[in-house]
Amino acid sequence: MTQDDRFTEIARKAARDYNDPPELSRGDMDAMWSAIERESFAKPFRTPSAVRPVPGSPWSWATRGILPLAATLMLGVGIGRFALPRPQTAPAEIGPRTAATDTVKVPEPYQNTTSRYLGQTTALLAALPAEVKEGSADEQFLRRAHDLLLTTRLLMDSPAAADPRFQSLLEDLELVLAQVVRLQSIQNRAELDLIRQALEQRDVLPRLRTAVADISADD
Amino acid sequence: MTSPAVAVEAQRFVSREPELIARAVAGDRLAARELYDAHAPRVFRLAFRFCGDAELARELTQETFIRAFAQLGRFRGDSALSTWLHRVAVSVISNAMRKVKRFRARETDLDEAAPIAAETRHADPDLRDALHRAIDELPDIYRTTLIMHDVEGYTHEEIAGVLGVAEGTCKSRLSVARAQLREKLAHFAKEWFA
Repeated sequence: MTQDDRFTEIARKAARDYNDPPELSRGDMDAMWSAIERESFAKPFRTPSAVRPVPGSPWSWATRGILPLAATLMLGVGIGRFALPRPQTAPAEIGPRTAATDTVKVPEPYQNTTSRYLGQTTALLAALPAEVKEGSADEQFLRRAHDLLLTTRLLMDSPAAADPRFQSLLEDLELVLAQVVRLQSIQNRAELDLIRQALEQRDVLPRLRTAVADISADD
Repeated sequence: MTSPAVAVEAQRFVSREPELIARAVAGDRLAARELYDAHAPRVFRLAFRFCGDAELARELTQETFIRAFAQLGRFRGDSALSTWLHRVAVSVISNAMRKVKRFRARETDLDEAAPIAAETRHADPDLRDALHRAIDELPDIYRTTLIMHDVEGYTHEEIAGVLGVAEGTCKSRLSVARAQLREKLAHFAKEWFA
């Protein structure tokens, strides 16, 4: 190695701390996202049910992993759109919520499907701490979370979400499930803590259990 | 080094990207957020390397994504999304830096932006400061290539894709950049090997 080469190597090492970037905190990420969202998505939120796959895009999760539950729901959404009027509700605020004191009402044609969906979601979220403890969420767990996220979005777009309390619960579940799906592997402790925080701050599990009980009582 | 788990995860994300792009174009904020979460940290790092100011780097990252989402419908997938996104980022950063340079004294940046890090063990602090100053003084095209390659670790292929030049051009720019640095730091080289 010539002196020039050695000097270049030393200089390269010294260059690595040139404007050494700090770590971006979750707060920084969220703050930037708020501004981006305001600028880029001023239009109302459109659910993925309005989205069509582009040619060649790998919608394998959509074609492969659709649960019978989702299929039932899609049929139900179609029927419900004709059969039941859907009241206009203002978009729910994102933020901590308190557990609902009134019962959650879901239109009769959706009760079975919704009840099953809530049961499966409760089971998945309850299993999350164990998955975390083991340190490895398997493929099946994540696929289940993905399917439940899809079902959540279908429900949000259906008359089943006419009750604002249930709509609000679905929005929180969508957020949490999206975080779980995005997690992809249970290696990232910070992400897991955020999920735990979201679950606690939004009272998701107690509200979920209340909704399960309410809907089961209506069956 | 990237762990196999991280590599698998990254591969899995890349395979879902076309779907996320289609959904983001259709206005799905969650899909857009996933894309943002995956790419924003690297865009921020690059912006910070160029400007040395956290607040400005956050603004540049923000601006990059606002512009990218506005143009996402025109993204045809000819290159990887990250390449396209970094092209937007480099354009946003370069424009901003041209304006910033007119108003900001370079020395202040250097003093504030060069923390005493573990790397200090590898190089004389004087050399490091002089090197950082020399990087600041490089012409933009050489500085961009040097920062992306030697500082941030992008490959020539990635840089060529981002800057829209041939890989050969990229290599030659890097070589010119290094030669200019070597020239500016010649007296350190003499001291070092004396």
